[in-house]
Amino acid sequence: MVNNLTLLIGIPILIGIINIILPSMLKKILNMVLVLYLLFVTSQIYINLSGDIVPNVMLFDTLILSIDKLSFLMIAFIQLLSLIIFVFAYSGVNEKIMSKFMILYPLTIGFSNGAILSVNSWSLLIFWGLSGIMLYLFGLLGNTKDTSATAKKTFIIVGGSDVLLILGLVFLRFLEYSNGWQLWDIKVNLEGEIAYIAFISLLIASFAKAGVFPFHTWLPDYSKDTPVESVAFLPASIDKLLGIYLLARLVLSVFVINITVHLVLMSIGAFTIIIAVMMALIQHNGRRLLGYHAVSQVGYMVLGIGTASVLAFAGGLFHLINNTLYKTGLFLSLGSVEKQTGTNDLDELGGLGNKMFLTFLPALIAALSISGIPPFNGFFSKWMIYQGVLDFAKDLTPGYQIWALVCLILAIFGSALTLASFLKFLHTIFLGRTLKKFEKIQESPVMQWVATSVLALLCVIFGIFAVKIPLEKLIYPVLIENGMSLPIWIGTYSPIMMISLFGLIFILGYAIYIMTKSIRYDDIYLGGMDALEKYRITGTGWYNEIKNMSPLKGFYSAAEIKLFDIYSWLKGISVVFAKILSLLHLGQLQFYSLWIVVGTLILLWVIK
Amino acid sequence: MIVPYFIIIPLLAAFLITLISSDDDRWAIVISILAVIILGILSVIGFISVSKEAIVYSMGGWKIPYTVCLVLDPFSSFMLFIIPLIGLAALLYSISYIRHLSKSWKYYALFMLLITGMNGVVITGDLFNLFIFMEVALFAAYSLVAYGGKAEEFEASFKYAVMGSISSSLILIGIGLTYSITSTLTLAKIAEVLPGQNPVVVNWIGAIFLAGFGLKAAIMPFHAWLPDAHSSAPAPISSMLSGVLIKALGIYVLIRLFYNVFGLPKIFSDIFLVLGGISIICASLLAISQWDFKRLLAYSSISQIGFILLALGIGTRMAVFGAIFHILNHAIFKSLLFFNAGTVEMALGTRDLRKMGKLGKVLPITSTTSMIATLSVSGLPPFNGFFSKMIIIIAAIQAGFFQSAIVAVIGSVLTLGYFLKVQRHGFHGEKEFNEITNVPSTGMRTAMIILAILCVCSSVLIIPGIKDVVFDPVIDTIINKTEYIQLVLGR
Repeated sequence: MVNNLTLLIGIPILIGIINIILPSMLKKILNMVLVLYLLFVTSQIYINLSGDIVPNVMLFDTLILSIDKLSFLMIAFIQLLSLIIFVFAYSGVNEKIMSKFMILYPLTIGFSNGAILSVNSWSLLIFWGLSGIMLYLFGLLGNTKDTSATAKKTFIIVGGSDVLLILGLVFLRFLEYSNGWQLWDIKVNLEGEIAYIAFISLLIASFAKAGVFPFHTWLPDYSKDTPVESVAFLPASIDKLLGIYLLARLVLSVFVINITVHLVLMSIGAFTIIIAVMMALIQHNGRRLLGYHAVSQVGYMVLGIGTASVLAFAGGLFHLINNTLYKTGLFLSLGSVEKQTGTNDLDELGGLGNKMFLTFLPALIAALSISGIPPFNGFFSKWMIYQGVLDFAKDLTPGYQIWALVCLILAIFGSALTLASFLKFLHTIFLGRTLKKFEKIQESPVMQWVATSVLALLCVIFGIFAVKIPLEKLIYPVLIENGMSLPIWIGTYSPIMMISLFGLIFILGYAIYIMTKSIRYDDIYLGGMDALEKYRITGTGWYNEIKNMSPLKGFYSAAEIKLFDIYSWLKGISVVFAKILSLLHLGQLQFYSLWIVVGTLILLWVIK
Repeated sequence: MIVPYFIIIPLLAAFLITLISSDDDRWAIVISILAVIILGILSVIGFISVSKEAIVYSMGGWKIPYTVCLVLDPFSSFMLFIIPLIGLAALLYSISYIRHLSKSWKYYALFMLLITGMNGVVITGDLFNLFIFMEVALFAAYSLVAYGGKAEEFEASFKYAVMGSISSSLILIGIGLTYSITSTLTLAKIAEVLPGQNPVVVNWIGAIFLAGFGLKAAIMPFHAWLPDAHSSAPAPISSMLSGVLIKALGIYVLIRLFYNVFGLPKIFSDIFLVLGGISIICASLLAISQWDFKRLLAYSSISQIGFILLALGIGTRMAVFGAIFHILNHAIFKSLLFFNAGTVEMALGTRDLRKMGKLGKVLPITSTTSMIATLSVSGLPPFNGFFSKMIIIIAAIQAGFFQSAIVAVIGSVLTLGYFLKVQRHGFHGEKEFNEITNVPSTGMRTAMIILAILCVCSSVLIIPGIKDVVFDPVIDTIINKTEYIQLVLGR
């Protein structure tokens, strides 16, 4: 049966396959038509859903695909971001990888749509697994010396977690046999070891995809070693949507979880925020810096969704879509800089703001958004999460209250550090004196700055009209559909009032400037000498003091030897066991023959 | 009556090849390919005709138990389909690959003997006859492992022969003991008589058979011959050994004996579970530390056999389905992986993953098909390995064997780990190659493409309607001991 849901999956997969034989230019055009068409199909689904018409897809008498308000939210943003990122990629993707990129891109959209729309364990596993394979294949498109190693690491963590998804879903079926392989509206009480194994397995699958601590370590490496369009497309947007979508489902309708588990989830969220932002502070590579922030931001989502409060849950979902907008914007802006200058090393960049103003401005807005500066969208969602945590904490016992408040403090502190990190990011790339080597640098191509500008504009709109547009149109319906009440605000915040105050301050500042205007323009001196370029302060070392501060020095040293990297741990353990087993395999025939004899004797002894 | 032709055709082909080939290998190629195609067609016809009733062929017109009988039931015809399927791919691959080593007909004659032995093992209903055919297959296998003529290959073949002989001795002891208490060598008759015998002796016989056939199947701790033999043999032979031989001589016989004859006593299902789990984990860990491509694949085979054994230990209908589905899937993707390894070895002259690099440009088909095989063996959807592993995990959880399910999951993650190592170093490494001298021939490429397509297409066997036709008769044959006795003995 062909309906809009099958179109969302089938058409992109079909185009991906057709693209294998088409020349590059036709691939591009076809993909552009596709992303526009998918957005149109999504709008049709929105109209249907508004009229309570739910398209379903059955296969072998089993419901395979369906859509509700939560999955629609994800579908809408997958299509929107696919369009915007493709606009950037249209002129941005390196010619060497263009052909493969244009095949993988529609396939990824189709598989991701399939994962979101699946209401059956088998189809979820297939589409989820396929989207993981796409992540790996996109990863192989990079051109750094570590590309292959990074792709491998990524796929071991993400692909390995897919196996846990299988385990979790099978255990879930074992618990709720009457439901068959149908998903989502299950409501299993989190009691007993089987329920916990199922929950933890599914949680790990969600965390690995979204990049939550301790399954996050692939993300900064992936950010550095793969094409920027791939990074913006997958870990910054689609994988975040998939991972957090699964988490939201688990918390919302699959498991009934107790307060302690809520608090554990909140702690993981808060811990993810602070660990990742601390790592981001000391990065010298722009992509890795953004990669760590992609991890840090997902911490807010886990904190919000993990908190048993409507306000925090809505805030978590809102933060998810906000993050996809500004994080994609930041990666793409850095991508534009990288394509014009040939580097993403922060030590080698500087003063590009006036040369690439149309790249700088969206990057500035996205940076302010991610740092939680009002009136941008990042502030609004963080503010909702903070309020939600307070709302949740007020009914807890004193011990639990302290636990929840520690999570809140860590989250707020993390936001401050995010601002600090992005001041460094903006300064090192766009501010300061323009380097001589960049004097002839041109603005990025139109398609690129249009894409980042649209994302920046959405950050502004979603900040100022947060309630009217994203919340009322997209997120509140999710709450209502799942039997939740609408959030009750604890604090008072009006974006319009905030803008008015900012405007007033700006006018006041300008008036003071006009009244006291007395400026002398001169060269820059350093110790009485001309300040040479080689003596410039890049900004990457701003937070070196933190790195050398006790006890953080120990933390950073541990991070350097990959003590927090679960991949290194697993690899290390495997190698140790492998070495032990290798000692028993020295190739000596007499030794092997002895094994057979001993093995047989043991068997005879066992069955005696 | 098509039953004896499964033995006659490959044996006749081996004879004809020896008779009419001179220095040239062309006739040998034609005859052997023709033989496996006919065997493939016969296996399909056989499968269709035995879906309701087994065919029993009594040699010389004598009646059971005074004759050697051949039994074609859904399980044996399923195995008889896999043998020519992989055999045909291996022959297509061999045409130019083996010419690389020598242009001799002997390879093809030995190949046909290998198939004769395997077909004989699968189709026979007699225990001693099974032993004879097993030895035929093994003698061919020992020779083929050493076919390259290098010292390392002779050493591997010698080790294989010595350890194979130890296991054959154990099997012979088992056969003797069985005959001493049942006075028959017909499997169905043994199955009928055994329940009335002393259970201690029966269990001892089971243990001896498990050790003997466990070595043929390369179950840990009886696996040590396999990494040397499979890595030293020419690539198409490695694919036959890993893809088919260890299953026909090992797993198939274990299923026949322990399900259809012994009725799977609890103690043996527990041993299957433990040995399966050990094989999965330990072989995967050993594979992780390998840099020799083919040796890594050999350890992987031990690990994948562990999955099959684990499923057989669970013993439910679902688990048996997982096991036989994995037998088919493993045959496909492991053969493909050995072809990939052989092509790379031929092109670069090395099996060391560290000496390989970016091969996508110079070996595009090998590189792409190796990726498909990697995803299949690692159990990623929608490739065939995903479905069989998923079935095994479901079966384990349904039957309450949670630890076994977790072992299977850990094994899958480890499998993904070492196969991504192959991709990372072998096909996407740092070293650039712009040109290679020994490019794979059309036959080699065709064989790889066919198997890669099968890695995807065989997934459709999971679809309920298709599964009912293909697997249900096989599962029924395996899990129903009484039915097997009735089918063969006619009562």
